[in-house]
Amino acid sequence: MEMSKSLRYIIAVCGGEFIKFITAISIPSNSEYMRKFFFSIRMSQSQGTSTVKRKRQDSSPAQTPEQVLLSLIKSKGDMGIWIRDMKRETNLPENLVTKAVKSLLVQKLIKEVVNIQSKGRKHYMAAEFEPSKELTGGTWYVGGNLDMAFISVLKDSCLKIIRKMKVATLEGISDFFKRNKIITVECTTPQIAEILRSMVLDNEIIEVKSTGLGDYSSIPIGTVCYRCATGIGLGQGPKIGAMASTPCGVCPMISQCTPDGIISPKTCVYFTKWLDFDF
Amino acid sequence: MITQHGLKLGINLISSYFGDIVAKVCECLLRKGTLSLGQIVRLTELSRENVKNSLLVLIQHNCVQAFTIQQEGGFQEETKIITQYMVLFDIIIHHMRFPKFLAIVSEDLGKECEEIFEGLLQHGRLSVNQILERHKQTSNQSEGNSQEAVQENFSRLVNARYVERCPAHQPFLAPLTEEETAAKKQGAKSAKTRRQMAEASETLEQRALAEAAPMESIRFLVESFAETKVDEQNSEEDPHSVTVGEKRKQGDLDLDIEDGTRKKKKEVLWRANFEEFVRHLRHKACIANVRTRFDDGAGIVLNAMLEATRSTETKVKMECSVPLSMNTIFEEVMKSEAGRSMTLERVRAALVQLGCHLPAIGIDETYSIDLKNIIELAQNEEVESIVLKRYGREAYRIFRLLSKAGHLLETDKISDTTFVDKKDASKILYKLWKDDYLHMEKIATYGGKQSQFLLWKVNKKSLWEHVLDEMYHAGLNLRLRTAYEQEQEKEILQIPREKLVGELAKRYKRLRKVRIVLESSLMKLDDAIMLFHDF
Ligand code: SF4
Repeated sequence: MEMSKSLRYIIAVCGGEFIKFITAISIPSNSEYMRKFFFSIRMSQSQGTSTVKRKRQDSSPAQTPEQVLLSLIKSKGDMGIWIRDMKRETNLPENLVTKAVKSLLVQKLIKEVVNIQSKGRKHYMAAEFEPSKELTGGTWYVGGNLDMAFISVLKDSCLKIIRKMKVATLEGISDFFKRNKIITVECTTPQIAEILRSMVLDNEIIEVKSTGLGDYSSIPIGTVCYRCATGIGLGQGPKIGAMASTPCGVCPMISQCTPDGIISPKTCVYFTKWLDFDF
Repeated sequence: MITQHGLKLGINLISSYFGDIVAKVCECLLRKGTLSLGQIVRLTELSRENVKNSLLVLIQHNCVQAFTIQQEGGFQEETKIITQYMVLFDIIIHHMRFPKFLAIVSEDLGKECEEIFEGLLQHGRLSVNQILERHKQTSNQSEGNSQEAVQENFSRLVNARYVERCPAHQPFLAPLTEEETAAKKQGAKSAKTRRQMAEASETLEQRALAEAAPMESIRFLVESFAETKVDEQNSEEDPHSVTVGEKRKQGDLDLDIEDGTRKKKKEVLWRANFEEFVRHLRHKACIANVRTRFDDGAGIVLNAMLEATRSTETKVKMECSVPLSMNTIFEEVMKSEAGRSMTLERVRAALVQLGCHLPAIGIDETYSIDLKNIIELAQNEEVESIVLKRYGREAYRIFRLLSKAGHLLETDKISDTTFVDKKDASKILYKLWKDDYLHMEKIATYGGKQSQFLLWKVNKKSLWEHVLDEMYHAGLNLRLRTAYEQEQEKEILQIPREKLVGELAKRYKRLRKVRIVLESSLMKLDDAIMLFHDF
């Protein structure tokens, strides 16, 4: 049995290839001993190395590559999986994977989705899942691109509502959307909150706390609300400061500009353009 | 701290007002800090005479303050008294604001006062007699503008605090006493010692300025004309000769430049009170800001409050306005024409807009406005508008997000909140970072798929300094371009006006317009410089 032990070792290390190899060797039928010996190897291979080579087992003829891939893709849920990762995790050759994926697609068991992190990669997901936020980039993304049209419709609507209401809370604006069915697509309150936040950043509206006086009388004191500013400068977008109204203030070359250098105020084209008056 | 381009702008100003030699001395002081005459001579390689005269010019124009210190001699050596010269960067830069200061005086006190004040700006320091003399020469005698009228106007200038007594010519800084030095070492806990410690930790320059400043009680005191003429009032001419007392022995001092000013020393010298103008412009900036942010009402109320408390402000950079009761505020508002139409309710609403909390029933309540906050908001706006024009709308949104957040944010989070595509967001962030507008930190995580995150933030302190430096740079460029345009059209400027016809007239007209645009831009830009440096 010494021999059988060392053989077992080889099998454990080399895996199935060795089995194929020795099975292929013609075994003398009259040798009872040899038959027993090989039988014992086969047995030990199926028991002893089963943990080591589980994946190989999964792809045993009992399961087609398609089935293997499908269960793998399903196991990834709403995250889906990149085609290269499928190969890596199943150890299936490339052509088999491609073929299987194609057929799964035809059967509509899986679908291709865009991964915002790396748009070029082929990413697949089981048909019953919807791509997660990490993949799509969130509610504002359509097909991996920011849905600018939708966003600007929402922004415009919000601005109109706030103008109309003078001062409005988030809930007020959201209700207005619902009651008046301004947009056909559903838009949640958190989504509107996001829109408002970006409008504040754009300085199109300002965020204030209700004082409970005047325009705010219907809003409890301290509640955050939004308004177009009554001031001269606000609510009309950002105002241009003193620095930004001179050529140097907006000049991308300012750090290279010196009194007598190649880039200098004397020869500066921005200045020349600025001071090019018609007479 | 003086930034690199601030320094260059300062040198440019001095060189165009007082010539290259003075500018060289000034540059030496700006770059090296406080120095003695000998050191300046060595560093500039100018003749002693040249340096001396340059210093005189700079002192006359308030750009340099001299002071003397006692230097301990080594073993068996005598203690020496040496004179040091420190440069006053802020006042150098104030020189380009003179048109603004003049406009303030003219608007507030009228033409006659403006003329007197203009003389003070031109000459740096003048005595009342010199002012009278100058007036005799420049004014039209037939107008019969009596000397009394000039004195009257001069008093108005002083009472409005636009003019003040000059600081002492050359104060003596006594070495710190044993007690002060000890206090510094021990770090004792009593309030008194702590104050002494604070004093001890002041720089030499700060001490010199404090020592030179005229006492508050006489800073705006005009003695009667007769007195000035007859009595040389020695005791008042230099208040510090009293306080410094015996330590100061005139004979011992190395009064390098005393000769030039000795004659004048007999009389009290006056100069523009730059501090008051900065305060005035600061108030104006605050009022303009709340006016655009809220409405005229808020502007009127703030204006009234600041106007009423102007003389009680203890320093220029007041964090909050001096507290006033509701009654006083209302009275003050009623004083202005615009304010007369406001109701008490309206005034109260304006105070709320300005950030005051009004109790339902207020008795003996006083209100004060957070000026520091207004200034900070104005600074934010200025920087944001640079970002908008230089980097675009999306960068503007991203920058505002980071500036408001005040802490680190991750790229994806920034992209989500600002509705900027993730790839674009990264590009914009990178560009802003490269130009020193943002601070970036990398965080590597192990185990997860994405191994590196980039976090971004606006570091206001360093960014503000960077922006201020860019502003000085832009100001310098505007000045250089103005000089260049003048130089280009030199010949036209030499031709008498009536001979300028056809093409020449066109060129002349163009040059005029160019100058107006460049100079008015510089004045506007200077508002922003003050916002970041002086307010
Ligand atoms: S002078 Fe011209 S090149 Fe130089 S910073 Fe100004 S705009 Fe830019």
